[in-house]
Amino acid sequence: MHNDTAATPKYSRAISLLKEMRESLKEGIIPVGIFNDRELYEMEIEKIFTRKWIFVGHESEIPSPGDYVLRYIGEDPFIVNRDESGEIRVMLDACVHRGVRVCRAEKGNASHFRCPYHGFIYKNNGDLIGMPAQQHAYNGLNKKEWGLLEARCDTLHGLIFACLDNDTPPLEEYLADSKYYLDLLFGLQDEGLEVIGEPQRWIVKANWKVAAENFSGDAYHLIFLHHSAYEVGSTPFSMLGNMNGEQILAGNGHCVDISLDKTPQPVDMPYWNFPQEIVDTFRLDRLDPKGLEIVRDSKEMLGNIFPNSSFLLMTVTPEKDLPPVPFISMRQWRPKGPDEIEIWNWFLMFKNTPQSFKEASYRAGSTTFSLSGIFEMDDSMTWETITQTAGNRFARENLKLNFQMGMNGMGKAKRDEEWPLPGIAYYPRYGEGNQRYFYESYVQTMLGED
Amino acid sequence: MEKQQIIDACDPVNRRLLLEGEQFLIREAELLDRGQYGDWIGLLAADIRYQIPIRITRERHAASPFSDQAWHMNENMGSIAMRVERTFSDYNWAEDPPSRTRHFLTNFRLSEAVDRGGEQEIVVRSNLLLFRSRFDSPAYELVSGEREDTLRRTSDGWRLAKRIVWLDHTTMGISSLGIFL
Ligand code: FES
Ligand SMILES: [Fe+2]
Repeated sequence: MHNDTAATPKYSRAISLLKEMRESLKEGIIPVGIFNDRELYEMEIEKIFTRKWIFVGHESEIPSPGDYVLRYIGEDPFIVNRDESGEIRVMLDACVHRGVRVCRAEKGNASHFRCPYHGFIYKNNGDLIGMPAQQHAYNGLNKKEWGLLEARCDTLHGLIFACLDNDTPPLEEYLADSKYYLDLLFGLQDEGLEVIGEPQRWIVKANWKVAAENFSGDAYHLIFLHHSAYEVGSTPFSMLGNMNGEQILAGNGHCVDISLDKTPQPVDMPYWNFPQEIVDTFRLDRLDPKGLEIVRDSKEMLGNIFPNSSFLLMTVTPEKDLPPVPFISMRQWRPKGPDEIEIWNWFLMFKNTPQSFKEASYRAGSTTFSLSGIFEMDDSMTWETITQTAGNRFARENLKLNFQMGMNGMGKAKRDEEWPLPGIAYYPRYGEGNQRYFYESYVQTMLGED
Repeated sequence: MEKQQIIDACDPVNRRLLLEGEQFLIREAELLDRGQYGDWIGLLAADIRYQIPIRITRERHAASPFSDQAWHMNENMGSIAMRVERTFSDYNWAEDPPSRTRHFLTNFRLSEAVDRGGEQEIVVRSNLLLFRSRFDSPAYELVSGEREDTLRRTSDGWRLAKRIVWLDHTTMGISSLGIFL
């Protein structure tokens, strides 16, 4: 049903680039040009962002009927709200009359959305209920047919995902093997999680794939790029010592990356350094032995839900003399053109934790992974120059990037045949298998072979 | 939420306070723009709070467009010291070479002048426009906002005890904030 791309002449150059990439990927090679290409970008919006499940927020952001937040899927703005009956909806922020945006703010509470142009009024479930001088202007209109356009939406542990395509499998099936790991982290406490404050938004002049690839499993860059964060004592773990762990291909292009020693050994900071009274609220009884080992012994856990939703749990300190505190971040790398993303950064914490702990966790997260984050500021700088390189004529046509770590005896990563949990795991983290998997899934999706 | 009050600075005592505050902030901005963070830290009170709350696009009737839980920066001396130490690391990829900044401070107004247990504190509000240019690109970034600065008089001169930057931006148009506003 989606394999009509070969017959679409409008993407012919992008398609030949993708076919070249499909071949070179077998050797672990990717042409740099994919990171800044207008035609490819337009194709991505059509083939990926209108078809996949995208993270848009968390239930705790809209606790009461009428609460809304404004979010984006690809280029389009959507109202994510809770209607009067308490149901979560994701609706295109555009009036059916002329397309004027009906939602004026980033968050609020509204029983209705009124279009400023001619005054069409929509209930917060999207139904068109009236307009000025209706008897004179639109007396014959069947209003039932003219509500706000609605996207599919579903939640997992309060994480709201939306999808613009009715043919895409349901969220749970779509998440495939990544669901186990999301359950593990976000299902730890019966009370669930909540977003602290509002998400941070900022612009980075980088291609969205660079960010998604990084969170898919670029453990290797920690050693060098983020050395300053280690030097100043922000992370308790030496980056080199942090390289043992599993990199997991989790189905449908999703990737998970866990810092974890293969043979269990006592760790300095079990349970990500959550205080014991919080660990006591975790439903460890529900976990299988390996899951328990991850929660108890792993140092960090992150991943990317294909295409552009990421999660990250790390334990860091915002000041030298403070004990490290775990934080949980959700991301959406919103594409805004071939060379620009808007980063959306949510910090979440388990609901049943003291307010002071939530604040400490937020501070740990925002000091390291945010606009001002001492890790993240180095990431965004490199991501921007990759994108610049990809836009330059000579590099674009000649530079082939090496993604071979973990292939052909290069790099220590080997298939972990004993990994008992869902997904295909590689150990240790000296591999680029997750990234290759991300790009293989990308090419398949783009060429309609997924 | 932002302070609104303005104290009439035509009165000679207040005029002097405002001038002292202004001089202090201009000197402080100079140290920031020159990257003399070691000297700059010396102008901060030990109990410094340095905050940049996140701003959200809200309707006019909303209580405040600023978050009370989410921040671009929410620092104390410990975290400021860590950031400054990082700035001088050999691995400061984001800010070495340093971005070129220029703090433009205008519209100084005295908002408060109080005696806190024998220590004099003043709140000076000012408008901030920060110009930043990075690497060899002719492009530049601007950050605009209002500063609300609490200054404390010590035997060694004024110290910055608290800074809140009330941004004019909701989505930030800059890719990183490895500097101080
Ligand atoms: S465009 Fe919305 S009412 Fe006309
Ligand atoms: Fe990074």
